[in-house]
Amino acid sequence: MRAKIFDIVIISILTLLSAIFLFPLLVTVTNSFMPSSEIITNYTSKLSIFDVLNGIAKKFINIKLLPGTLTASQYKEVLIDQPSYLLLMINSLKITVPVVIGNVLVSLLSAYGFTIWRWKYKEAVFLVYIIVMLMPLQAVLVPNYIVADMLGIKDSYLAIILPGIFSPFGTFLLRQTMKAVPYEYFEAAKMDGDNDFKILLNIIIPQMKSGLAALAMLVFIEYWNIVEQVVIFVKDYYKEPLSVFLSRISQDNISIVFAASCVYMFLPFYFLMIGQKNLEKGIELSGIK
Amino acid sequence: MRKNPFDFGLLFLLPGLIGFVIFFIWPFTISLGYSFMDKPIDSVFVGFKNYMDLFKNESYLMSLRNTLIFMGICVPLNIVLSLLAAVMINKVSRYKEIFVLIFLIPLVIPSGSMIFFWKALFATDGYLNYILSLLSISEVNWLESEITRYVIVFIFIWKNLGYNIVLFVAGINNIPKLYYEAATVDGAGAVKSFFDITLSNLIPTFVLVTIMSIINSFKVFKEIYLLTGSYPHESIYMLQHFMNNMFYSLNYPKLTTATSILVLIITILSQALLKYERRKSV
Repeated sequence: MRAKIFDIVIISILTLLSAIFLFPLLVTVTNSFMPSSEIITNYTSKLSIFDVLNGIAKKFINIKLLPGTLTASQYKEVLIDQPSYLLLMINSLKITVPVVIGNVLVSLLSAYGFTIWRWKYKEAVFLVYIIVMLMPLQAVLVPNYIVADMLGIKDSYLAIILPGIFSPFGTFLLRQTMKAVPYEYFEAAKMDGDNDFKILLNIIIPQMKSGLAALAMLVFIEYWNIVEQVVIFVKDYYKEPLSVFLSRISQDNISIVFAASCVYMFLPFYFLMIGQKNLEKGIELSGIK
Repeated sequence: MRKNPFDFGLLFLLPGLIGFVIFFIWPFTISLGYSFMDKPIDSVFVGFKNYMDLFKNESYLMSLRNTLIFMGICVPLNIVLSLLAAVMINKVSRYKEIFVLIFLIPLVIPSGSMIFFWKALFATDGYLNYILSLLSISEVNWLESEITRYVIVFIFIWKNLGYNIVLFVAGINNIPKLYYEAATVDGAGAVKSFFDITLSNLIPTFVLVTIMSIINSFKVFKEIYLLTGSYPHESIYMLQHFMNNMFYSLNYPKLTTATSILVLIITILSQALLKYERRKSV
C-alpha cells in the first residue's frame, strides 16, 4: 500500500514536470490553428482606440492555450500563399542533407580505419579527435573562416557544409559503436579470406544500424538548428535557413509565426518519434570510455 | 601494434583524416600563430603582447566572467535536477519511456521555432508580467536586466535536462541489482543505499554528464543570440558575443587570442575530467 502511494506521488511529480516542459510546445502547436485576428489580439500589446475609450491603460500579451476558432489558415498561408517559407526551408535542407550524408559516410570509414589500424600511436591521433570534438562552436568558427577564406568559399554554403562533414564527433560515436561488435566476427571473416572492405560492408554495417541511425539523427538535429555559422557566413536574407529567419519575424508576420514554427519543427520531431531508442542510444554512446 | 603506420586501416581513415586536418588542425595552428602577431598581413611577431592586452580588455573580461558564472550556475543545477528526475523515472512502475520521451523533446526542437514563444512569455509586455500584474506585482524586465541570466538558465535546463536524464537512467540501470539486495540484507535504508551505492557507482556518469553539460552550456548561445541580439544586457554578454563582435570588427589579434585561450581552457578541463574518470572507474 505504501509503495503504491509512493508510486502515485512520483508519477504526479513527473507529470507536473512534463506539463511544464511541454507547455511551450503545446502553445506553439495549438496557436498554429488560431485565426490571424485572434493571434493579433493576443500577441500585440498596442492599445486600440476602444481600449483607450474603455479606460485600459496598459495591455499585455495573453498566451491562450486553446484557440477560439479552429482554422488551418496559417498553414495555408505558410505552405501555399507565401512560398518564401518553403524556399527558406529548402535552404535548411540544402545545408543539412549534405552534412548528414557526408558526415555519416566519412565517419563510418574513419571509425573503421581507427578500429583496424595497427599503428602504435593511433590512440594519440584519436585523442586529437576527442579534443576537437569537445571544442565549443565559437572556438571552431575562426579556424573555419580562415580555411573558407583561403579556399574562396566563404560566401557559399560549402563554408558550413565541409567542416560539418569532417567534424570529428561522428568518428568518435561510430568507433564507440564498433567496439560493441565482437572481435570474433572480424577474425572469422579474415579466416574466410574476406578483405577489409568486404568485412565493413557485410559484417560491420549490418551490426551497427542503430548507431548509424543515432549519428544521422544527432547530426540532423544539430544542423537543422544551425545559427552561429549562418550569422558568420550567410549574408543574404534569402539564403538564410528558417532557424535564423524565424527569430527575425517582425510584427507584420506574427499571424503565421506559429504555423511556420510548427512546419520547421516537424521533421526533427518526427525523427524523435520514430527513433527515440536510437537517439537515446546515441546519447549513451557519446560516453567517453 | 606496429611502428610503421602504413596499412589498410590508414587507408580507410585517410579521407576523413585529410578533411579533419584541412578544416580543423591546420586552421587551429594558423589561428594560434596569428595570436602572436600584431596583424594578419605584414605581421610582426609580438610574443605574448596580445594575451596581455586581452586580459586588460574590459569587455573580454566581462564576457569571460559571465561565461564562467553562467556555467557555474547551470552545470551543477542541470546535474542535480536531471539526477533527481532520473531517479524518479527509474522508480515509477510505468510510463518510463514516455517520461524520457517528453524530456527529450525540447532537445530536438529547433531554437528558432521557440523564440517567438519565449519572447511572448518574457517580454516586458509579455505573459509573465501579465500574471504578475494580476497579482499586483510590479513588472520585471526579464530580457534586459540582471534577471536575464536566470531566464537563460531556465531555457538551458528546459532544453538539456533530457540529455542528462538519458545518461543517468542508463548509468543507474548499469548498477547491478545485487548491490542493493546485499545492502538491504545488511540493513541499509533507502537513503543510505542511494548515497553508498547509486551515487558512488555513478561517478563515471557524473564525469560524462559534466563534460556534456559544459559543451551544451556553450550551445545555449543560440537562444541568447536569437532572443537578445549582438549586444545584450551585460549580465549575459558571453564569450561568444565578444568573439562574434571581434569578428565583425575584423580584430584578428583579439579574436585568435581569445580562440587560443578557449582551446587551452577546454583542453585542460576535459583532460582533467577524463583523468579523474579513469582513476575512479578502474
